[in-house]
Amino acid sequence: MTHPKTPHVVDARYMEPPEPFVATMEMLDRLKDGEKMLLLLFREPHPLYKVLRQNGHDYETELLPDGTFEILISR
Amino acid sequence: MQAMLAFENAPPFAAPLRFFLTAPLFAVLAGLLVAYEGPDIFASRWTPGALAATHLITIGFMLQVMLGALIQILPVVAGANLKRPLAVARSVHVGLSVGVLLLAAGLLSGTPTVLGSAALVLTLTVLLFLVVTIMALIDVPTTSPTIRGIKFALFSLAGVVGLGVVLALGLAYGWPLPLMALADLHAGWGLGGWAGVLLAAMAYVVVPMFQLTPGYPARASWWFPLFMLLMLLLWSLAILADWPLLARLAQLGAALAGIAFAGLTLRLQGKRRRARPDATYRYWQLGLIASIFALFLLSTVAVWPAAADIDGWSLAFGVLLVAGGFLPFITGMLYKIVPFLSWMHLQSSGQAKVPAPAMNKILSEAEMHRQMLAHAAALALLLAAIFFPVWLARPAGLAFAVANGWLWWNLACAIRRYRGHLADIEAALAARLAAQ
Repeated sequence: MTHPKTPHVVDARYMEPPEPFVATMEMLDRLKDGEKMLLLLFREPHPLYKVLRQNGHDYETELLPDGTFEILISR
Repeated sequence: MQAMLAFENAPPFAAPLRFFLTAPLFAVLAGLLVAYEGPDIFASRWTPGALAATHLITIGFMLQVMLGALIQILPVVAGANLKRPLAVARSVHVGLSVGVLLLAAGLLSGTPTVLGSAALVLTLTVLLFLVVTIMALIDVPTTSPTIRGIKFALFSLAGVVGLGVVLALGLAYGWPLPLMALADLHAGWGLGGWAGVLLAAMAYVVVPMFQLTPGYPARASWWFPLFMLLMLLLWSLAILADWPLLARLAQLGAALAGIAFAGLTLRLQGKRRRARPDATYRYWQLGLIASIFALFLLSTVAVWPAAADIDGWSLAFGVLLVAGGFLPFITGMLYKIVPFLSWMHLQSSGQAKVPAPAMNKILSEAEMHRQMLAHAAALALLLAAIFFPVWLARPAGLAFAVANGWLWWNLACAIRRYRGHLADIEAALAARLAAQ
């Protein structure tokens, strides 16, 4: 799945925990420096935010009208 | 193992667990009280027995689970970390348990000092909880409808407790207050502003997460908490200014908003991607349908006040909304939360070396399903007892006690199995260490 913001997308909207977390971490490991990934979820993943901050990743979150949170994460 | 990091800041399991394991016991007590009092308890919603049973359920069961779950879930859904969660949990748990017993005793006996003590204990307990949560939430930006809902719900919690104290003291010392209008408003803040808005705020997260449904539309979920709060503020103003028409309009608005939320949730559940319905899904279906019926009764009274005088109307509303709506929502969530937390803590204690057992090894679908059928039967009996109290009041109370005792048993079995698995994991880790 690709997205206008980045070709690296984890659509975790219909995954059960902790799959979204694991899939995001796996994709982050595969990204090259300067690349970004997008995580799609129907909730804000605060525990993931915490890990991202601890590991020095930047992220931006946008709430879409259908209730999807788009989280753009920098490598 | 990075996946473990997310669990590190979770509060200890003992923090929420104490609430989850005592809550069903208060519902058992409520059922036994109904069975003991018999048909008289169904004479009106104002009988001492009905008031005591109601508070055993709303404070003893609902508030217990809600505050316990919030202590657990605030870091996850809002990124807000409570200071010393275990110490807060201990104090709030003791305060709520003692407070609700005093309140039930005070309502049953009418003893002013007991009612006053209940008001004092419950106020201090909720105040402690509010101070700690507000301190955790104060720097949290309102970036999601869930965070907004939690903040508004906490405001309503202060409202319902404040009104409750006024009512308890008014009842104890015979203050010249419009007790019935204030009691309706107290119930509105409690069931609509606190429980209803908190339920919606949690549903925005847990319904898509656990039932694999689409998300709640952003605009509707963003405005629902504010709309409920506005309706309750209007209702309060109407009582202060003695404008009955405004009070009815606000009740109608709150009821319609509740129906819209329940209808939307049913629609989302219809689009779920989980093929097999589980106990949580079924409990939520029951809760949503019962709530829609209850709120339809409330809307009718708002449009046509004489309906409230029809025998059983108010009691049917209360039974449908509390025993038919909120209890199934909460129990359905407990059936996800307790196995999930058990699994999470086992996974964490296995240190990625020893795997945790699957969640259905903690609590099986069949156990939950059978208990749910018992709850549904108790609900049907309670509703029928409103109209045939002489025959059915005592069986309904006993059935309700059995269903909640069964819930307690299921949760206690889950925890016993959790402890067994924990001991196995620790032994396996020790064996690995010894082999190295």
